[in-house]
Amino acid sequence: MPMTLYHGEPTGPSLTVLAALFESGLDADLVPLDLALAQRHGGTVPLGFEANYSVEGEGPVLVVDGEATADSVFIGCLLDDLAPGSGLRPGDPYMRWEMMAWCRWIIERLAPGAAALANIAWTTPRLAALDDAGFEALIAPIAADDLRARWAQTRAGTLSDDHRAASEARVHEATKKVEDRLADRDWIMGDFSLADLESYAWIAPMRDLLPDVFAQKPRLAAWLARVEARPSVQRAFAQARTAQPAHGFAPGPEINRWG
Amino acid sequence: MSSDITLYHWEPNANSGKPMLTLVEKGVPFNSHYIDLLAFDQHKPDYLAINPMGTIPAMTHGGRLLNESTAMMEYVEEAFAGPSMMPDDPVDRWRVRWWMKFLDQWLCPSFSMIGWSIFIGPQVRERDPEELKAAIDRIPLPERRIAWRKAIYGLFSEEELAESRRRVDLGIGMLEEALGRYEYLGSNQYSLADINCFNSAYGLPSSQPEDVNDEKTPNIMRWLRSVARRPAVKQTWTYSRVPRFADRILPLIEESV
Repeated sequence: MPMTLYHGEPTGPSLTVLAALFESGLDADLVPLDLALAQRHGGTVPLGFEANYSVEGEGPVLVVDGEATADSVFIGCLLDDLAPGSGLRPGDPYMRWEMMAWCRWIIERLAPGAAALANIAWTTPRLAALDDAGFEALIAPIAADDLRARWAQTRAGTLSDDHRAASEARVHEATKKVEDRLADRDWIMGDFSLADLESYAWIAPMRDLLPDVFAQKPRLAAWLARVEARPSVQRAFAQARTAQPAHGFAPGPEINRWG
Repeated sequence: MSSDITLYHWEPNANSGKPMLTLVEKGVPFNSHYIDLLAFDQHKPDYLAINPMGTIPAMTHGGRLLNESTAMMEYVEEAFAGPSMMPDDPVDRWRVRWWMKFLDQWLCPSFSMIGWSIFIGPQVRERDPEELKAAIDRIPLPERRIAWRKAIYGLFSEEELAESRRRVDLGIGMLEEALGRYEYLGSNQYSLADINCFNSAYGLPSSQPEDVNDEKTPNIMRWLRSVARRPAVKQTWTYSRVPRFADRILPLIEESV
């Protein structure tokens, strides 16, 4: 089955999907993109409806038999369905439920906050350096109005104090969740799984922005190192094309509209 | 009914309807425990002892608790025998999961915001203010506390409601197109995505008759009737206690029989 993975720098959802692909043992052509310059929308990637309206925002796209799949957790499930026994998901239904509920918290609660903080720190300066016409040309092909609006907000550096405080609170909560969870285990689900990749991908880049949150959490620190030591994650890191790949974000999921 | 499964649910629609319809479709017997959302049963100590998140629905299977309605549906699909509610093809399965995520995070919150602002908020607002304040203070999840406060006190801004209406209108067009591409939502097999979507979309022909009808959205209407005629759907509505909801679906079911 021919597959092509269009991915950004190995951080956030692109890191999850790169490492999940390598864990699965499946082959795919790798095409790196600069997601922050909206290269996903430049015409190279055969986007379909689902990729255009992905709730993840500017994440990687895995084209499988001509169909553009998006949203890292669900691409991870797809890779596990294509390569049964890859270990990306536990076999037991109750543990699978637990893993999906965990991943839902990460993508719905942590990811919007982490993306907001990462983008304001690292993407806003890149977009602000573009002239108006250049920026408008980049975002013009974006199909979803609300995603295009998040690009404009990112360029303008719009982040209210409430929004920043809520985002930082999510990072605190996520690091505590992992620290607590690892009291009796090495990996989030006991054995290694997609939950480790998805959690790592959003939590690890926050070390550069909120170092205090990571202090006095020895189990979290050991887990971060354990994830980094996996050959799949090392191979994902090797795809980097910039000096600071962890900073390679682009407008991500929106903050939950209900609070 | 004797079963080691108990489903704690409100009306058989939206999130509560998701695991319920999945259980009934799979032929899995369960004990029904109705939680009255409008009486804040979900934040009372008896229920918090079962589901500390204070969200509905929840399910116990043996001694194990499950919450998060979409993840619960996948659990029911995988843990029990019965007709498969997921397609076999891996890309079809991805598309079904993608739609459930899109519904859960993008489209259905907009349905909910409108529904809460015009129905749930006004329903509960009549209660004693002190009782309401105490009820809000008991909500364990901060995001649910914000949502309830907005609904109870009518604090949804005009911008928020306008954005929700925009998404519902756009979502109707998306569903119409998607149901033109495949017989069901995201695949040619009735699946968890259909259960997820039907439970929030069944009221559209009665709430927005000018937008959802046989002329403008023939594929949505075909699909709604096809799901509504399933015996399992009819069975889940025997658990309804709020006539407003049943009034909206029963004509669709009767029409489809």
